[in-house]
Amino acid sequence: MENDELIQNMVFELRRGIISIAVLSLLGKEEYGYSLLKALSDQGLEVDQSTLYPLLRRLESQGLLQSDWRIVDEARPRRYYVISPQGREVLEQLKKEWAAMTESMQKLLS
Amino acid sequence: MNLIEKYAVEVGKYLPSRNRADIEAEIRSTLEDMLEERAQAPNADREALTLQLLKEYGAPRKVAESYGAVQYLIGPRLYPIFEMVLKIVAAVLLGVGLLGFGVNAVRMDMAGPALVHALGKLFVDSFGGVMMAFGNIVLVFAILERVLPLSDQKDLTDEWEPTDLAKEQDPDRTKISDLIAEIVFTIIFLALFNLYPQYVGIVIFNDNQWTFIPVLTESFFRYMPWINLLWALQVGLDVWLLRKGMWDVATRLINLAFKLGSIGLAYAMLIGPAIIKVNTESLAGTSLAEVARELSPLSQFILIPFLIAMIIVPVVEIVQTVVYLVRRRPPAPFPVK
Repeated sequence: MENDELIQNMVFELRRGIISIAVLSLLGKEEYGYSLLKALSDQGLEVDQSTLYPLLRRLESQGLLQSDWRIVDEARPRRYYVISPQGREVLEQLKKEWAAMTESMQKLLS
Repeated sequence: MNLIEKYAVEVGKYLPSRNRADIEAEIRSTLEDMLEERAQAPNADREALTLQLLKEYGAPRKVAESYGAVQYLIGPRLYPIFEMVLKIVAAVLLGVGLLGFGVNAVRMDMAGPALVHALGKLFVDSFGGVMMAFGNIVLVFAILERVLPLSDQKDLTDEWEPTDLAKEQDPDRTKISDLIAEIVFTIIFLALFNLYPQYVGIVIFNDNQWTFIPVLTESFFRYMPWINLLWALQVGLDVWLLRKGMWDVATRLINLAFKLGSIGLAYAMLIGPAIIKVNTESLAGTSLAEVARELSPLSQFILIPFLIAMIIVPVVEIVQTVVYLVRRRPPAPFPVK
């Protein structure tokens, strides 16, 4: 029981570290908040909305995302997010870092 | 207003006003998307689903906190200065209170229960005034917290370097704590002289009660427009310096002009009619009349050295500034390592 809680906390920390890369990579095409949540979930990354929305705002304030409010197909207004040119550059760099990290970790864990 | 709308507004209550409408709209939009998806099932009870959805989304305050919306009345960057100012004011009030009490205790030859009784009455009578002073300080800092630019938080961020500790202080860099202390004390004195001049005076223990006697004369209030102008301009300059973070020749010259103004004001007060006086006329016929007559010359005896200091201190500062301005080297046209 005690271990379960420890593992859960550690997994949460791990996930929090990678969520920015996951969001940037998914926003190559426009998504609104809820569709992004579902897309992450479909990829096996369950993210809480209270984690995702503040993260989206932070990435936008850092210039890595762009967003605008739009009404598509007469639905309700939704805020659509997409990666910015600066975000693409950062993502490319992060992908390299990620590859190096996973390689190191695989060596370490094997 | 439906429940989702009410929920979004409730979250908004805990958010800073600049982001409130935007975050509220996003929460509303997301919740409606989530509800729409869940309500597609046949025989879905929208009301029950809405309640369940809001429960899952979380308590409004917690949701607001996830946006980093914790708001301070006085935040971490100003708190140490706030604490310092509060301690100074508390020490001054305590010092003045005890001095007044001591003088009265000796004068009335108080001892034993009478002394304890007088001290208790002083504490009760001055409680309201002390609370008002502390309340004004909190108010001034709460305003500063909202008007000062975020760049003042630089030393709280990762940009801080331990090697900065070894560097000599740049004489042109403004000292935030000094400026804030000057702003706060100037505003406190402006409020005191303009709104509560009746509280500037002395307390006398007589006939088993503390009596407060205001000492500012009509002559003092003739100087008030000049005092207000000079101090308001000084606060304006301090706020400007807080925003800029650096002294330059222009701000130093403006500050010199203010110092000359305060010297002129102190000189006019020194040679003009008395600005403080224990009003013996208003106390005529009371048991305090004799005491007031004794204290009247004493008040001038305290005031004159104070006004002389108000002239000498700015003169020294002016000389220091002029010497600095003459000796300072112009900035290099290229970065110096």
